[in-house]
Amino acid sequence: MFNRKLWRNLDYVLVATVLALLAISLLVLDSAAASITSRPDYYVKKQMMVIALGLIGILVVSTIDYQQLKRYRLPLYIFNLLLLVSVFVIGSEAKGAQRWIDLGFFQFQPSEFSKLIVVITLAGMLEGRQGKLNHVKDLVLPFIHVAVPMLLVLKQPDLGTALVFMAILAGMLYVAGVNSRLFFTLVGGAALAAGLALYAHFNWGLPLPLEEYQLKRLVVMLDPYNDGEGGRGAGYHIIQSQVAIGSGGLWGKGLRQGSQVQLNFLPEHHTDFIFSVVGEELGFFRTLGVLALYFLLLYRMIRIAHQAKDLFGALLVTGVCCMFTFHVLVNVGMTIGIMPVTGIPLPLFSYGGSSMLTNLLALAIVINVNLRRQKILF
Amino acid sequence: MYANINIKKRLVLIFLILSAGLGIIFCRLVWLQLVRGEELQRKALENRLAPVPVPAQRGIIYDRQKRELAVNITADYIGAFPPEVRDSGQQEEIARKLAAVLGLSVEEILEKLNRPTGFEYIARKVDFARAQKIRELKLPGIVVVPENRRYYPHGLLAAHVLGFAGVDNQGLEGLEAMYDKELSGVRGQIVREFDALGHEIPQATHRYVPPQDGHSLVLTIDQTIQFLAERELDQLMASPTSPRKASILIMDPQSGEILAMASRPAFDPNNFAAYPQEMWGNPLVRDAYEPGSTFKIITAAAALEEGVVRTDDKFYDPGYIEVGPDTVRCWAWPLGHGSETFAEGVKNSCNPVFVTVALRLEEKKPGTFYDYIEAFGFGSPTGIDLTGEATGILIPREELKPINIATISMGQGIAVTPIQLATAVAAVANGGKLVRPYLVKEVLDTEGKVIWRREPKVERQVLSPNTAETVRRLLEEVVSEGTGRNAYIPGYRVAGKTGTAQKAGPGGYMEGRYVASFVGFAPADNPRVLALVVVDEPQGYPYYGGTVAAPIFQRVVADTLRYLEVPPQYSRGEKVEEKKTVEVPELVGLTLEEAEARLQAAGLASRIEGEGGVVVAQVPKAGVVVSQGTRVILYLQGDPSRPRVPDVTGLRIPEAAEVLEAYGLALVPEGTGQAAEQNPVPGTEVAPDTRVQVRFYEPSRPALGP
Repeated sequence: MFNRKLWRNLDYVLVATVLALLAISLLVLDSAAASITSRPDYYVKKQMMVIALGLIGILVVSTIDYQQLKRYRLPLYIFNLLLLVSVFVIGSEAKGAQRWIDLGFFQFQPSEFSKLIVVITLAGMLEGRQGKLNHVKDLVLPFIHVAVPMLLVLKQPDLGTALVFMAILAGMLYVAGVNSRLFFTLVGGAALAAGLALYAHFNWGLPLPLEEYQLKRLVVMLDPYNDGEGGRGAGYHIIQSQVAIGSGGLWGKGLRQGSQVQLNFLPEHHTDFIFSVVGEELGFFRTLGVLALYFLLLYRMIRIAHQAKDLFGALLVTGVCCMFTFHVLVNVGMTIGIMPVTGIPLPLFSYGGSSMLTNLLALAIVINVNLRRQKILF
Repeated sequence: MYANINIKKRLVLIFLILSAGLGIIFCRLVWLQLVRGEELQRKALENRLAPVPVPAQRGIIYDRQKRELAVNITADYIGAFPPEVRDSGQQEEIARKLAAVLGLSVEEILEKLNRPTGFEYIARKVDFARAQKIRELKLPGIVVVPENRRYYPHGLLAAHVLGFAGVDNQGLEGLEAMYDKELSGVRGQIVREFDALGHEIPQATHRYVPPQDGHSLVLTIDQTIQFLAERELDQLMASPTSPRKASILIMDPQSGEILAMASRPAFDPNNFAAYPQEMWGNPLVRDAYEPGSTFKIITAAAALEEGVVRTDDKFYDPGYIEVGPDTVRCWAWPLGHGSETFAEGVKNSCNPVFVTVALRLEEKKPGTFYDYIEAFGFGSPTGIDLTGEATGILIPREELKPINIATISMGQGIAVTPIQLATAVAAVANGGKLVRPYLVKEVLDTEGKVIWRREPKVERQVLSPNTAETVRRLLEEVVSEGTGRNAYIPGYRVAGKTGTAQKAGPGGYMEGRYVASFVGFAPADNPRVLALVVVDEPQGYPYYGGTVAAPIFQRVVADTLRYLEVPPQYSRGEKVEEKKTVEVPELVGLTLEEAEARLQAAGLASRIEGEGGVVVAQVPKAGVVVSQGTRVILYLQGDPSRPRVPDVTGLRIPEAAEVLEAYGLALVPEGTGQAAEQNPVPGTEVAPDTRVQVRFYEPSRPALGP
């Protein structure tokens, strides 16, 4: 079953980077969880089980040629939509959003897996359209392809994850060879339209299909104390997160020593705001180290996309890479106050089963493509 | 195969976006962690350190004999830690229970419990019984903590002098406000570490900055003299005369020390909020009035000092005097005093005589009369150490017409405060020195050491000692033979002057509304006590100063002189009468009638607590030697199987214990000193052996701390 030759292709740097990030994440999670439960090992144990499951998943997925995925495109896509719709029927609500399906042992979050499925199905679709992506009409189908699941996610509401779909679509379209001028016109146009719409909303009261709190998060990003409650409302997270990271200084306060985290001044510090724990407890230099690992990971993915033996493989890796990049930049940016609070997790780091599993499966696909890369004969 | 050249180029763009994004993040991290690192570290520290104020003990206010007039009593406050309350999940039930005991609205309490803060006050200065109830409820997140409350053990006594302190022990009125800086001390604090939910962190940073207790004041007021004055006022208010307001000011004319300052109606500073705000101010320094004839003292003094009149100069009073186009009537009009000397004119309080000498002063040199009025301190504050002193009203010099000089000479057309008038008359009494009146003699530190002492201050010499002597002699005749006869005290030489002024209202003087007053001092040859009695709008007739105010002056000053042990100089066959001391008889076991008969026989008074049956306890006990007239408290009890809780407030612990024991009840004392609050309240019918909780006041530090 194991093809020894195949495994010789393995990108060990990528694997080492992933394992390093996972190890650090468990250390930080252990510290972060200490202040939120009387059973300090609860979160770490649960996370370790998910990671073990994911690593096994990587091994299993690696044995199957990624080309097989192409065949199951349509069933996968339909399955994806069914999952997303089921959230509204049998999903449970938490913090004002319907995102979870309670499986008893596991709070399953379909929108996480949905991203990965979209990467697979979209890669299959775009491969067939190589060189035929020069007109607006050529783009209608790919857009609809992504828009349907994306709108379902937006409906939950989960704006952050919905935006991940946009990043995936843009990255994959571009790499798939869409006409450059058309692409940048669309991206520029969309950015301009979004900017104008927000401007119109705040100045002339233009109604937007967004929740009030989502818009407020945009406002408080610029001035967190201007949340109507003197920094105790929507701006609270941003303020406390920056205080946490800033107070970490050069070398940090040490694991389990960060007052902002351990005294719960910073909520959600084991999930979306775990990077603040890194900043406060590990300090500037080690935080840079973590960022360097992400940089290395993403660089290796781009390299793997580079070396993919076909466009399908390259697009798969591109999609995963875009997903990771967006998550890392937006999540970290949010904790340091340069991105609005959107509540998307830090890949391979934040506590959360669905997210961790999705990311490890995504890496499984990347490794799969890596193993079956084209022979380079120098 | 596929054309991957393009893909490779395009992947580079993704790489660039990634690099640029991480680059921006890097810069931001440098900014936050390196540049702003220290500032944000401080902020993180501030987040978790919350200073809890430790109130300083407010200084005590003593009378001149070091008797306590204002003290501190520990009271309780009810506080809540909202996060803890919410953790319990029973906030509505808790709010309901608290509301029921405290008499507050459920919504109000619930709103406080839902605030995103670590600590909230639910109620301050809660009385003993309610605090105990809440303590017993043992509600999660609710604490009952002792704090200080100002307590005025004598209630109304000297309320207008003392003023009061508010809920945070800040001085708001009277001396409490004037000397707030000395009394309040410096508040300390405990810095405690809290987490985001307001839970205190064990073994975390604790820093204790101890409070510096406030300094104590020793007043010039003498509690006994103050009491004598207030007793007279209470009797006056209850009499048919029932004036709108009445005040008595007693001072030492030599030094300017105020011995008593009493006014009615008064307020209880323990419960000041229950009284209208107009009643809080001290009328003796705040209210200006037309002094009437008492002001003639000033006119006479100025005229004698300037030599425009001598005591034996002859005058003729036809019942009126013409001043330019106007006519001023004598108070005796349509009769006149006829031919009289100046001394007789003063005795008669004859208006034309004073008008004449005042006009002579102006003839000598225009403005002279006013120079004296101002030199005597009218038109400017006396500088007494009380807030809100008024300056009175003088007609501006440039608008002054002869008729004004004429009316002012008899005390109309000028408004003065009682403290101004008393200070001016004190200058006559003490040989011509205008002294500054004052209320605070000494400031003591917490150990009782004197850290500041006020020395009497002479503002200026307004009269020569000879003139002052002459005026004193004239005023003595007013009392011994003239309009002030009712102020005469056997055994003492009293000097004084009556005053009856019609009150000015809109559009002129008001019929039937008078201010009757009397100012005087004794002994006339070496004045020790000066008193001013002002009765505002006495009801009915007579309303004259000589009939309404002089008798009060007589009683208060007589008692004061005796109290100060000023030796009487009996003459002309005045009888010697002296107060004797007696032993309190044994009264326990007697019926009320028998007990009262025995007290009467011994020359003692009684106060009765409880009803029916026999006397079960008495305070003071039998055998104690007291002066005649002392009140003995008789505690009565009907059915011993169903005792009613007696009122023990005012008693000390052993006394209270004895009284309660006599009723078959047990004392649960709290604190030391004098009983201030008790639970159950007096009159409650209880089972035998019930424990009665009594809180005794005395300066004590509340048990505060972690």
